Amino acid sequence: MAVTKSEIVNPRGTDGSGAIYADLVRKAAGGDREAMERLLMRAQETAYRFSLLVCGHPQDAEDVMQDALLKTYRYVSRIKEPEAFRTWLYTTVQNACRMKRRRRVGEPSHLTSIEEGATSGDGEAGPLEVEGHERPADQLVIDSWVGLRLRQALKALPSSYRMIVVLREMEGLSTREVAHVAGISEANVKTRLHRARVMLREALEGV
Amino acid sequence: MSEDVNAGCGAMLAGISAYLDGDLDATACQAIERHCQACPRCATVVEGLRETIGLCREAGQTPLPEAVRQRAKASIERLLASEKPSEA
Repeated sequence: MAVTKSEIVNPRGTDGSGAIYADLVRKAAGGDREAMERLLMRAQETAYRFSLLVCGHPQDAEDVMQDALLKTYRYVSRIKEPEAFRTWLYTTVQNACRMKRRRRVGEPSHLTSIEEGATSGDGEAGPLEVEGHERPADQLVIDSWVGLRLRQALKALPSSYRMIVVLREMEGLSTREVAHVAGISEANVKTRLHRARVMLREALEGV
Repeated sequence: MSEDVNAGCGAMLAGISAYLDGDLDATACQAIERHCQACPRCATVVEGLRETIGLCREAGQTPLPEAVRQRAKASIERLLASEKPSEA
């Protein structure tokens, strides 16, 4: 597998992750197998991070990762604008998370979906609770990956705010890209991001 | 802390994110920095948000757990061995 260390350590990339994605998409669509492998690896990593950090279900993250793998592979040759791949990927992953949530059997009523988290114009909504069905070993690995303190603080945010923080701060999307994925205006992204940062800070001080 | 400083805290706090994101011009940045020099409370808030953003960005650059990466890698190998890309 040809995934360079610099890509793993610095997924945002010095020239922007979007540009790296676009380059990989072009090459993969042209039959470059190594580019396809790197693209698929990145897509899966993106899907896993987003699913876990925004939706909060480790068991779903594996399925969402698989979904991103297949969709990226099957549709890469149909993508008209390689520069738009990254927003397409996050939108696809977000939709996969929503589908997983809808299909979840026996989901407790207190859980909120991503879209249900944004119940008002200013994004005020209750926090998305995270169930503890994941295997203990997986949980330990995940906590050591993100950091238990940050993960707990993220859980305290309304889901619509959490998505903005993850996309903007952790995934490095531009304000415009976040607005596209979240389906809200750039001004609203900035407003939510500011509020989310303040809430996250308060939550970090409390955990 | 003077009342003038307190009166400016609201406007200052509203512009913190734009300041931290580098979206403000030099004049607005200087105004915030001057305010923070005179207002320890706002300076603490700015520093706290800066640390929070840094923590998130650091987490975003952390590689996924090796076990997850290995599963992803195995999935790619299985997929590429079994399929060819669909025609557009």
